[in-house]
Amino acid sequence: MTSPAAAPPGGTPPLTPPTPPAGTTPPAPPAAVRAAPAEVGAFFGLREQPVRELAAQASAIASACHDMAVRFHRGGKLVVFGTGGSSTDAQHVAVEFVHPVIVGKRALPAISLTSDVATVTGIAASEGMAAIFSHQLRQLAGPADIALGLSADGNCASVLSGLLTARELGLLTIALVGGGGGAVAASPAIDHVLVTQSADPQVVKEMHVTSYHVLWELVHVFFEQPGVLGPGVIS
Amino acid sequence: MTGNAPGGNGPAGAGSIEELYPFLYSGQTDLSSVLEQVRESTVAKTTEILQLRQAVLDADGARLADCGRAMADRFTAGGRLLAFGNGGSATDAQQLVTLFMHPSQRAAGGPARPLPALGLASDPSILTALCNDIGVDVVYARQLAAFGGKADIAVGLSTSGNSDNMLRGFDEASRRGMLTVGLAGYSGGRMAELDSIDYLFVAPSSSVHRIQEAQTTIYHALWELCQSALAQAAS
Repeated sequence: MTSPAAAPPGGTPPLTPPTPPAGTTPPAPPAAVRAAPAEVGAFFGLREQPVRELAAQASAIASACHDMAVRFHRGGKLVVFGTGGSSTDAQHVAVEFVHPVIVGKRALPAISLTSDVATVTGIAASEGMAAIFSHQLRQLAGPADIALGLSADGNCASVLSGLLTARELGLLTIALVGGGGGAVAASPAIDHVLVTQSADPQVVKEMHVTSYHVLWELVHVFFEQPGVLGPGVIS
Repeated sequence: MTGNAPGGNGPAGAGSIEELYPFLYSGQTDLSSVLEQVRESTVAKTTEILQLRQAVLDADGARLADCGRAMADRFTAGGRLLAFGNGGSATDAQQLVTLFMHPSQRAAGGPARPLPALGLASDPSILTALCNDIGVDVVYARQLAAFGGKADIAVGLSTSGNSDNMLRGFDEASRRGMLTVGLAGYSGGRMAELDSIDYLFVAPSSSVHRIQEAQTTIYHALWELCQSALAQAAS
């Protein structure tokens, strides 16, 4: 056991220690903590500037969330997709909206297009990888919906194809991308694009996790204030 | 970014919503001021995650490097990585697995080796069979008993640190001689009381979202440091 958190002194651990309530200050780490090796410090350091750049896009995030909330308000659902590591983000976003971790927040409809392995591999085998999302969107999405595509380098052909199809179908289109933004960021078919300026796919993913957590929270802020969702107040 | 305990002031914590979004309570429906307030809350969240990552680095930077080397030793001995978690953490388990199985570039720039890894939340047939026939508490312990050997590595991800199926998974993995690695939030929850976790990394926050974002960095660091240790051993 090498945890910095102290084990209870002696005896059997209590079965149900309470989860600390929000706002509780966690215990400080032990005084004698070994310094992080330079390699680890440098690894963490790579995350700092991208976070600041994410903060600089806060107005764009707010605008995207407002548009998303309007769609949910009209009965739309969120359709999320990405390949490789981004497929796990698509599933994370779906569970975030359908089953929020914050008690009392309503469930909002969201589906990932990466969970039906039979359909994904079937489309890939017969029509090619680039069609895996666009094909599903034609069957599952409608004009009131929201499409969210994630691509760590901004050049994923299936994500771009999915967003283009979503646009044709009348969906609101949003993209979270990395690298320099790639072909996805350059596409005029995307309503809202958030770009992480990093070529490191792990750094990009970490910024995307923060981005979609914020998207979820701000959608609820707008959604709980329907006065800002009506056509009369949309500027 | 020092001297400020992350998690003690998380906007996601109950009680801070009114402070962050006063318009929810004032009947105000002016869109531009709502957009400005959500913009400010986004900036505040990015400050939180910067501070939380720094706290993790300060407390656990050296142990992350230790753990990466211990994981490399297991892979060298022929071991595999088995990853598990619930909900959003299940998607993190899948991300960790695909990073080992089909690696992208390393932050340090060197080549990455594909390494064997299995996600224990990826097969709905196994999960639903275990849930239906026995119960959700055994879904990971049972698979670890089936797949795990003494050369293997078990990585379990949780935000609360309290889930019964996680605790039983770690106990089973430890019984089988596996290297056990746990990721938790808050102050570690019940995972901090286990003797069956060799390396526990706690993201000290009370916001589930910030915890998950810091945990993404933690497991990306473990992958990077494991690859680094393998590269050094090979040279």
